[in-house]
Amino acid sequence: MGNFFSYIVQGAAITLAVTLIALPFGLALGLLMALVHTYGGKFLNRIAAAYSLLLRGVPPIVLLFILYFVLSGTVNLSPFWAGSFSLGIVSSAYQMEILRGALLAVGGGQMTAARAIGMSRLQSIQHIILPQALRLAIPPWSNEVSIVLKDSSLVYALGVPEILRRAQQLSATTQQPFLAYGTAALIYFVLVFASNRALDHLSERTKLPTHS
Amino acid sequence: MKRIVVFVSLVIALSLLMAGCGGAATASHLESIKQAGVIKVGTSADYPPFESVDSSGNKVGFDIELMTEIARRLDVKLEWVDMPFDSLIAAVQEGKIDASISAFNYTEERDQTIDFSDAYYTSEDAFTVAEGFTGPIINPEDVAVYKVGVQTGTTQADWLTDTLVADGALPEENLFLYDRVDQAMLDLKNGRVEVMMSDYVPAQALVKQIGGLEIVYHGVLSSGPINIVLPNEDVELQQAVNTIIKQMQGEGFIEQLAVKYFAE
Repeated sequence: MGNFFSYIVQGAAITLAVTLIALPFGLALGLLMALVHTYGGKFLNRIAAAYSLLLRGVPPIVLLFILYFVLSGTVNLSPFWAGSFSLGIVSSAYQMEILRGALLAVGGGQMTAARAIGMSRLQSIQHIILPQALRLAIPPWSNEVSIVLKDSSLVYALGVPEILRRAQQLSATTQQPFLAYGTAALIYFVLVFASNRALDHLSERTKLPTHS
Repeated sequence: MKRIVVFVSLVIALSLLMAGCGGAATASHLESIKQAGVIKVGTSADYPPFESVDSSGNKVGFDIELMTEIARRLDVKLEWVDMPFDSLIAAVQEGKIDASISAFNYTEERDQTIDFSDAYYTSEDAFTVAEGFTGPIINPEDVAVYKVGVQTGTTQADWLTDTLVADGALPEENLFLYDRVDQAMLDLKNGRVEVMMSDYVPAQALVKQIGGLEIVYHGVLSSGPINIVLPNEDVELQQAVNTIIKQMQGEGFIEQLAVKYFAE
């Protein structure tokens, strides 16, 4: 029985690894797209909007299968990397919207003011806009963190032995679905709870006095 | 809006193009397997007694032991790739794995995209009901008046759809598709479906494990022989595997395995 639990818990390491690849990847891509959407020209703006629209309109699992089975002729990705990247790509669209909201919340006045004291557009974004926007983005972003953590269960479909797949296997072997899936649910809950708590803390610590 | 449409069509066109480039032909698949010294075999380890994991995560079962012996005789290491049953054929097709063993039955439809080895075992279908079920099932067609459960993507699902749903005997809303047989069996016990159609051997194992269930009919309807799934037109690998299967049948190896895993 001890083995039973440790087999599922080992899957948590894989779940975490998938999440820790997908999240920063999605953040980098999402930030880029959010900046392009907010400060890019008309054409770039449209492309960024289409990117977000397209990706948010496709179920993550469909994109997962496309990346793994359809594109596998050109890029030979292992299930683990294909799964992590596709989750990251899907997440980037949502993170883009979160960051775009934050950029808009900072407001155009900050940009005008920064330009007025002689900063370039890029400098203004780097030194004035982003430090404020990223702080504002933490609370909605922690939502996305829990979503990616939970969506990482989708990579089981490609054969990555994360928490859900291991729970399935043990449910089939032991005929105790409640125990198997209950254990999986508990692990997900602990992971989501812990990460949200950590981000709440970070949000408090980094809050600016001007944003109450 | 127009730009978006153009962008979307570009993305779709690009992915189709990339898909078309896939599957570059290698000199010989068998050679490359032997050179690497590893054969990657896919299975869906949630289907005891054919393939499952024990509580420490090791793969066990009839197919597992059989394939281990085949790899030993091919003189290569065996690397298991576990994935859901639905994904296995696509994975062989895309060259993600070299072969797949997961109690696969031959069907013409499957044969179009992949190849099969010779049969290594012949399986039967079974109808399982919960204890206390009254309606008699004498002919297989009798199940049409009940709520029937079946695993998605199996030959049993095809049989039910092609023979009973197609001629209107079994209303589509009374056909319940499950991801896995054990889930379906638990639903059967809980009364959400009345009859479960599956392979005979796993049905026996599940009836014993779950309890409160009984098999009311078994015979060859959809299943028949089970085979190893191999890449399409990979004649060399197919011949090598078939030769080994024949050897193992001659030596009584497979029969012993069947007794070990399937004996009641």
